Amino acid sequence: MATLAQSPNPDIALRIEGMNKYFGNFHALRNIDLTVTRGEKIVVCGPSGSGKSTMIRCINRLEEHNSGRIVVLGTELNDDVGNIDEIRREVGMVFQHFNLFPHMSVLENCVLAPMLVRKLPRQQAEEMALRFLEKVRIPEQASKYPGQLSGGQQQRVAIARALCMQPQIMLFDEPTSALDPEMISEVLDVMVTLAADGMTMICVTHEMGFARRVADRVIFMDRGEIIEEAPPETFFTASRNERTRQFLSQILNH
Amino acid sequence: MGSLLRNQKARNALLQAVFVGALGSLVIAGALIAQQNMAAQGITSGFDFLFKPTGWEVTFSLLPAKPTDPYWWYFLIGIINTLFLGAFGLVTATIVGTVVGLARTSSNDLARLLGRSYVDVFRNIPLILQVFFWNALITHLPPPREAHEAWGFALTSRGLYVPILNVHGLAFAGAMVALLAAIVLPIWLGRTARLGSPPEQRRPLQLAAAILALACAVLILFLGRLPDTALMNVPALRGLNLQGGLRVPPEFTALVVAIAIYGGSYIAEIVRGGFKAVGRGQVEAANSLGLTPWQVFSRVRLPLALRAMLPILANQYVWLMKATTLGIAVGFADFFMIVALTINHSGQTLEAIGILMAGFLIINLSLAALFNRINKAIALKGNQLRG
Repeated sequence: MATLAQSPNPDIALRIEGMNKYFGNFHALRNIDLTVTRGEKIVVCGPSGSGKSTMIRCINRLEEHNSGRIVVLGTELNDDVGNIDEIRREVGMVFQHFNLFPHMSVLENCVLAPMLVRKLPRQQAEEMALRFLEKVRIPEQASKYPGQLSGGQQQRVAIARALCMQPQIMLFDEPTSALDPEMISEVLDVMVTLAADGMTMICVTHEMGFARRVADRVIFMDRGEIIEEAPPETFFTASRNERTRQFLSQILNH
Repeated sequence: MGSLLRNQKARNALLQAVFVGALGSLVIAGALIAQQNMAAQGITSGFDFLFKPTGWEVTFSLLPAKPTDPYWWYFLIGIINTLFLGAFGLVTATIVGTVVGLARTSSNDLARLLGRSYVDVFRNIPLILQVFFWNALITHLPPPREAHEAWGFALTSRGLYVPILNVHGLAFAGAMVALLAAIVLPIWLGRTARLGSPPEQRRPLQLAAAILALACAVLILFLGRLPDTALMNVPALRGLNLQGGLRVPPEFTALVVAIAIYGGSYIAEIVRGGFKAVGRGQVEAANSLGLTPWQVFSRVRLPLALRAMLPILANQYVWLMKATTLGIAVGFADFFMIVALTINHSGQTLEAIGILMAGFLIINLSLAALFNRINKAIALKGNQLRG
């Protein structure tokens, strides 16, 4: 118990040990073990209802795990509110439905948390926000409102908003699933750039091209369990697992 | 002709003309019949009565009133009384509704149960019954000699006694305006685009404006002090009655309490609905950014819930304004009661009711227009919102 929290390996960004999660009687996650080193890019895939989203939502306490341990950047995730706040400050998240604040301009969306949580003065927060909006290639939309942007633009703003907290880990929960096909690549391009900058990333996605290009490891989940963990080449071409091969044939041959 | 009748636009215009014509002749016929009947009873129709003295006393007035005043002055008193009651009723109902509504959305089981019981009980008892209940309760309080007293306030069967400042009425009103300016001016300064500077550099200016307005308020109160009196006018027992202070009549207190509690139960449901309408995704995003629960509430949940609530809230406010006419049930001199007394004394039924209806239309249409403006000003921009 103490070994993990007291001798943190600075290279380890995230460690999950024997985590279980229930929704009522439904066993949503079963004995999840996962270690992610700093700078690593993980792609999580699997059929719907397999627990992918639930797993990454446990990492920043949007869902509460029932047993097992989660240690993020050396901080144990438990009922301690201080720990939860500390982890949320360092872990950014991008959602399937963007979840921008519709009553705030793009710029306000981006400066809100840096000003309230990191206590940055407005001017500094705005400068940083513009820098990240440039990084996601929409600085010209800063004064618009989320409802005036396309889905792809909204998702890029959501990425910039998360980056403005200067997180050490980024979680992506199906970031392109709600987008029209022609907007998927503009979001994926931003994510590829982010990966190239060395960000630690955990992405739940079915974009297998993206997984091939940036993932260090692909994790396949089914019925709440991690079934397979492999580098992309092995995963896509040489998987010996029956369920993995079935899943791949379903999403690749259509 | 036949082809004109088959033309869609011509047909619509004809139908509308027939409808307007029929409605117009109905109104004119009604007015003529009414005039004839009144003439038969020896009542002259028209609005001349407005300038005649009333000859009766009004029980509650914020303006000076005596029986020699004309009817139009009494109508004005009635409208002001209605607005006064409405303002107190709406503000207190909103406070009660917000508290109960938040309790109903709370994650605490006890708070939710209490909130739900409150709504179930008070929404299902007719308002007039609640007005009678509170009025009866207050008039059965102990007499002034045995009043419940605390901090200069006294609760008696003759009403609620409140300590007041010994200042001239006009000075008090002026000070209230200055106090309002102390709140409104800094907000306006923070938002106006007329000053070139960025809003966050205006703090000193806002502070100066607020202090200046507060100083004005104090100065006005000081100048308006009644000579040879103590600063505070506290109600105190003299003989069998309380002297000094301000007496709030039982019927006014009963009406405000009833409207606050009954209206609060409806507003609670509107507040609950507003918070339910806030997307879970926005709250999760705010949480994931590390905002504290209070920040999530004040920056994300409340502003979004308010936008969902406002149109329904406007409806409720208009409804509660109309409910102030229950004043007549307990003898509070609201607009409706003054009109009813006018009809008794002058016999000018149709004219008086016409004025009453026009008055309520003006009050409620202004209220609705105000809310429409606020609604438009804070509406979410764009139509690409999902999730």
